[in-house]
Amino acid sequence: MNVRDIPGFLDVREEHGETTVVVERERVRDAARHLRDELGFNFLADVVATDYLNWGTKGVSGYIGTASGRDLNLPMTQGLQAQPRPKPWRFSVSYHLLALREGAPRLRLQTLLEDGDPVPSVVSVWPTADWHEREQFDLMGIRFDGHPNLVRILLEDDWEGHPLRKDYPIGGEPVRFSDAE
Amino acid sequence: MTRLRDHGLQSERLLWPTKGPSKFEEEMGVEELEQALGLTTLEKAVRWAQTKSMWPDTFGLACCAIEMMAIVSARYDIARFGMEAFRASPRQADLLIVSGRVSHKMAKPLRQIYDQMVEPKWVIAMGACASSGGMFNNYAILQGVDRIVPVDIYVPFCPPRPEALMEGILRLHEAHLAGVPPAYERRQVAT
Amino acid sequence: MSLAERTKIYEGSRIPQRVPTVLDVPPELLSSDDILQVNFGPNHPSTHGVLRLIVDLDGEQVVGLSAVIGYLHTGFEKNMEQKTWWKAITYPERIDYVGYQNNELVFVLAIEKLLALEIPEKATWMRMLLCELNRIHSHLVFLGTSALELGAISMFWYTFREREMVLDLSELVAGQRMHTRYFQAGGLAEDIPRGFYSECRKFVEWMPQALDDYLGLLDRNKIWLERTKGVGLLSADDAIALGQSGPVLRASGVDWDLRRDDPYLSYDKVHFHVPVYHGGDVYDRYRVRMDEMAESVRIIEQCLDKLERMDGKPWIADDRKVVLPPREELHTSMESLIHHFKIVTEGYRVPEGEVYVAIESPRGESGCYVVSDGGPKPWRVHFRAPSFVALEATATCMRDTLVADMIAVVGSLDAVMGDSDR
Repeated sequence: MNVRDIPGFLDVREEHGETTVVVERERVRDAARHLRDELGFNFLADVVATDYLNWGTKGVSGYIGTASGRDLNLPMTQGLQAQPRPKPWRFSVSYHLLALREGAPRLRLQTLLEDGDPVPSVVSVWPTADWHEREQFDLMGIRFDGHPNLVRILLEDDWEGHPLRKDYPIGGEPVRFSDAE
Repeated sequence: MTRLRDHGLQSERLLWPTKGPSKFEEEMGVEELEQALGLTTLEKAVRWAQTKSMWPDTFGLACCAIEMMAIVSARYDIARFGMEAFRASPRQADLLIVSGRVSHKMAKPLRQIYDQMVEPKWVIAMGACASSGGMFNNYAILQGVDRIVPVDIYVPFCPPRPEALMEGILRLHEAHLAGVPPAYERRQVAT
Repeated sequence: MSLAERTKIYEGSRIPQRVPTVLDVPPELLSSDDILQVNFGPNHPSTHGVLRLIVDLDGEQVVGLSAVIGYLHTGFEKNMEQKTWWKAITYPERIDYVGYQNNELVFVLAIEKLLALEIPEKATWMRMLLCELNRIHSHLVFLGTSALELGAISMFWYTFREREMVLDLSELVAGQRMHTRYFQAGGLAEDIPRGFYSECRKFVEWMPQALDDYLGLLDRNKIWLERTKGVGLLSADDAIALGQSGPVLRASGVDWDLRRDDPYLSYDKVHFHVPVYHGGDVYDRYRVRMDEMAESVRIIEQCLDKLERMDGKPWIADDRKVVLPPREELHTSMESLIHHFKIVTEGYRVPEGEVYVAIESPRGESGCYVVSDGGPKPWRVHFRAPSFVALEATATCMRDTLVADMIAVVGSLDAVMGDSDR
């Protein structure tokens, strides 16, 4: 399977037995159509958006109870910890694809973007993306161009903000005895 | 020991002094009649009747709903208490068992359903999520259903065993029989 | 905003074109006064949970449909980012609260994939056994509630009787009926108690007879057949295009089962048959689930045969950086005490990376996408919910049907709202 033919191809990673192909944001729909028609990935399992705000700034997520991160020069129980690889873009949108044939090949199509950048919608390629994209718009605030009905789906229509972003507070009520959790 | 006649068994005679003993008194005699009759107040009798057929409303939301369905099933039979008739319409229901986590989007329908129920009505908050928000201390879940409806009984655990829910229901019955008013009266909130 | 490119329409596709998940009233009917918009609100008498359907009716016929979900949105994904990996395992169970073991399993498998942990064999087989028991549980609840909605009320009592037997087994193993938190990263939380295998055998011997009872009650019942045959049609191409999986996909004729085609745990070491029907209607989805229950019983038997010979083997991996040490060791070993302390307070660290793990839950392909930044808490967790996707197919299945069929169709898609709204 030659992934470099995918329109808008930028990068490919193979980790944990999974293949991730990064494409340019504007060419997502062309890449999707190529993947469905040429390479046979006819099943879109999932569309996920991830917010990398403050990725790696604390080292790793710090002790429970302390506001700041760890000192990287102190040895841990697992040896010196490693900084995670930097993420220069704030958001990533991942499409998890599956080909319904022998061997069940899976692929993750990923695109990287900043806040406010719209992503072309793949509803015309896989109709199931309709609700998945609505959900990511609702919870992460990513606009999908060409989506026929981009309104909130899980939260109320007049909800302000996008809860799954890292700068949105967890909400709820304060609880005694567990301040950082 | 007070006798029935102290309570005015011959009540008809209070109004009609010249009336003779009734058929029952003639046949059974006063002693036996006292053992065969039960005396109660109207309030107690009504409360007893309300307890024995308190029909719940179908308000199953999440995991607790499956355990609520289990109390209808044959092992934890709730038909013994006259409550297997889960009414779909809140206007016909007495008891609202809020079983499951209530999101902010669902809070408005919940309050609407509660408002549509007719007095007397009770609310059981089943499970940790309905009682206090449970393990979901976040933006989406109402932290306890008692923020919008007055709750009579809280049943903890996640999800409560069907026996636990039955215990909650039976305690509600006992409380009602003892004369404890429903929560909206105690908290003096709008119904 | 208008759709620039049309959806790829196959010959005979029934996907509504403008928006795949909304059935629009045809314009010629819209102008007449016959259309009545009815709200099947979040509080249903049917037991699916909180699904809202806004339905346009022309007499009894459904001409417009849109599903509104989100009444059970719990913010699982955001909540799990605040908890350590160990504590976060209690959350996925409550997502699909009828097939709870499968969500636990998929999250735990994702953690183990990132950690590259090796799981002992006993844990793998026991996980399989419990997941198949959970599949039976889920299909029993489906059968009971769907039949209840269509009027076959007595099915509810019979299926819940068997469900109680399954929950007894679950309580025997893990102490809790539902949401057991029995799967941990590395294996199982505790050893399998004595007496479980014999109780499980009793269940396995009883279950085929119960299944025959159900078939006898429903399968040749004329009313059941009339209400379910030919109703809610979904073609194979449309099912794939709409992302359906599991029984809905197999009832539409697509022979796809992740247990056989993309095996996880030890599904490649057991023999089972994957039922596929070609009608694409409600009846075929019901038959697929009935047959799956019988196959699950066979798988459980094979797991029991294997497990009974594994007495005394370890049930969890021995990587002490991830797995809690046994409590006896805490009295004697300083390292165990330190490990215990670190794992409970700070949590174990999962190396940086992102994985997507998918399993065959009773509803279809249930997946978990985990992004880790190398720390003790997840950075991003997302669950691919098969019920969310199943509800997308409502509009397509509901073309040219009546209101009464709508209940049958929504029941046959077997959507659990906790799974759909997360």
